[in-house]
Amino acid sequence: MKKMFWQIFALLTIASLFLVACGGSTPATQSPATEAPAETESQTEEAPVSDDMCMGTQPGDELSLLYQWSGQEEERLNQILQPLVDTCGIVLRPESTRDQALLDTRVQAGTPPDIAFWNITQLTQYQEQLVAMDELGANADAYIPGAIDPGVINGRWLGLPVKSDIKTIIWYSPLNFEALGYSVPTTWDELDALVEQMVADGNVPWSMGMESGDATGWTGSDFLQDIMLVQQGPEYVMGIIDGSIPYDDAGVVQAYETYGKWATDPLYTVGGAQGTLSTPFLDAIYKPFSDPAEAMMVKQSGFAGGEVQKQFPDLVFGTDYDFFVVPGAQGLQGGSDWMMAFSDKPAVQALVSYLSSPEGGANWAAAGFDLSPNKGAAGNYTDPSLIKKAEAFYATQGFTPDIGDTIPGGFGSAEWTAIVDFVNGSDLASALAQAAAVQAEALK
Amino acid sequence: MSSQSVPKIMKQGGLAPWLYLLPALLIMTFFIVYPMINTISLSLKNRDGSASAATTCVEGNPCWGVFENYRYALTAEFDTTSFSTFWTSFWQSSYGNTLKWIVLMVSGTVGLGLAFAVLADRVRYEALAKAIIFMPMAVSFVGAGIIWKFVYDYGTQQVQIGLLNSIITSLGGQPIAFLSVPQINTLALVVVGVWIWTGFCMTILSAALKAVPDEVLEAARVDGATEWTVFWRIMVPIIMPTITVVVTTMVINVLKLFDIVYVMTGGNFGTDVIANRMYTEMYINFNVGRGTAVAVVLVLAIIPFIYFNIKRFLAQEEMR
Repeated sequence: MKKMFWQIFALLTIASLFLVACGGSTPATQSPATEAPAETESQTEEAPVSDDMCMGTQPGDELSLLYQWSGQEEERLNQILQPLVDTCGIVLRPESTRDQALLDTRVQAGTPPDIAFWNITQLTQYQEQLVAMDELGANADAYIPGAIDPGVINGRWLGLPVKSDIKTIIWYSPLNFEALGYSVPTTWDELDALVEQMVADGNVPWSMGMESGDATGWTGSDFLQDIMLVQQGPEYVMGIIDGSIPYDDAGVVQAYETYGKWATDPLYTVGGAQGTLSTPFLDAIYKPFSDPAEAMMVKQSGFAGGEVQKQFPDLVFGTDYDFFVVPGAQGLQGGSDWMMAFSDKPAVQALVSYLSSPEGGANWAAAGFDLSPNKGAAGNYTDPSLIKKAEAFYATQGFTPDIGDTIPGGFGSAEWTAIVDFVNGSDLASALAQAAAVQAEALK
Repeated sequence: MSSQSVPKIMKQGGLAPWLYLLPALLIMTFFIVYPMINTISLSLKNRDGSASAATTCVEGNPCWGVFENYRYALTAEFDTTSFSTFWTSFWQSSYGNTLKWIVLMVSGTVGLGLAFAVLADRVRYEALAKAIIFMPMAVSFVGAGIIWKFVYDYGTQQVQIGLLNSIITSLGGQPIAFLSVPQINTLALVVVGVWIWTGFCMTILSAALKAVPDEVLEAARVDGATEWTVFWRIMVPIIMPTITVVVTTMVINVLKLFDIVYVMTGGNFGTDVIANRMYTEMYINFNVGRGTAVAVVLVLAIIPFIYFNIKRFLAQEEMR
């Protein structure tokens, strides 16, 4: 009897293995009614969504989403999407992961999510599988000029820029600046003089730590691109992105030398070269705001404000921590998370037309989920730091995407390697030559 | 034994054995053979598997045609302008580092494991001592990597939160950035590997040592052999088959090593190893062709050791 049991058990195990192996493409069959009510609690402040935006969606239609946000960020996204859920009865099937391998595997297996919120490079990577935005009813006029350009791949508009952040800013403590008699610089020369003044006073000007696991170096690449925006301007940066300027050009070398002077010297940055390489980028954000302050300034994207707030809940934006745009920068560097669609079903069309509508932009701003390049967002921000970021964002002359994120084919990690090796004492010319070779190959 | 003498119930036709094997064969085909063939075929194609790898050749550069990804996997890390640049770049490449790992980690784990096995054999608290040495095996590699990342932490403040640097500074020394200074960092990572795997080697070698017949050891001692001689001339030769199996197993482990490097340095600062490079090409650069080519190179490097290990294992089975 017992033997019989084990035989059946073994058979079932083998059978189930096959079921699991072959069952990957089966859609979720759970009845929507069982899960929908949990999320229907309506939020008050949103602009209303009209019924015709539903694009013929039937109540109960499912929409699978894949994104990297979790916690508070996920709540904000839910808040933004709530009107769509309420009006059209769409049932969201969200999944949150930071693991890009998951998205890759799904796409390759032919079972992608309906919608993915991911990075700009995925638009190129998945261009064969993605549905063009204009076919889905997206409204290009809703966006500030140039915002959707990076999303046009080989003539097809493949993604909506949803959540943008500006990188060309420097965070500092107004309190410390006041106490030490420093003022916010308005030109690059003033910044340079301020840095020298701080060194002369025995204060460490920069916190440049950039350790980030297998992505170590990205903080440095942001800094370098900002220096290029100051020294050369946005057209130069776009030239690197389209390959007309090789990555070992004299202008790039000049930017690296400016950066290296600060990043490798313990007088200019916390811990010198080894501090830059081995301090985690999050710790580096905290250093100007710790007591006593370990550094005076940290150049980091807009998200740094939220990290400071999390680490030091008592600090207040505007008095204890604040930012200024990198002085002298002839343009801004920024990045967006992009929404891409792998399906053209009505629920996807409804989402696309909602997010590219003025209401969608307004709701995005009201939720305080970073900046939205949707014109409808302007004037609807409530958070003081977002209002200040939005000012710089809408006023900029040249918005440049991150060089490393935009060039496909492994240039991003080649760029990081060049930066890490350079800070670690390698020869600059050969470090840049290797990155330039990858750039040339990627853009040929 | 002729088939006539076998009772009928034990007789098997030509089909029965295959039926027994069928589930295993199906699973193996599906999960091992098919992925393997697919990997090889992808390694001959371009970055997303849509065309032959030959199309990725750059004019004016060396090209291996359909084996272009293998040219990249085998030569891209080396600077071949002169022998000395090749030599330097080799020792910073994933191949050079993997070689360092093999030499240092295999000798470290087997040497220490053997030492602990011999020493623990002679004390009353043997079980406790062995349990402590074995314990790191219970920690996941990722967990161990994070633990040791803290041990090696290089702080920029006066207070060092890293154990090692706090010891160094309290003795008046300068803190060392263990994970980012080239040469030191690979060594620092190998220490973590040794910390994890020594217990495994010790356990197996200790079991082998227990099987050394007491009479032989006593006879040697009666004849006036020193403990040193007993160890080198009696124990080591007797347990040699086990040592070889442990060594080959460890070499295979080290060749596959990925977690420690990925967690602690991400392959930066000249610490890359072959398995991490495969991951980088595959999931950071999204170059499926190159990623799978590195994978195939890795498999080819491992096969001789697996073959050797199986041969050894079969020989031992026959002796029993």
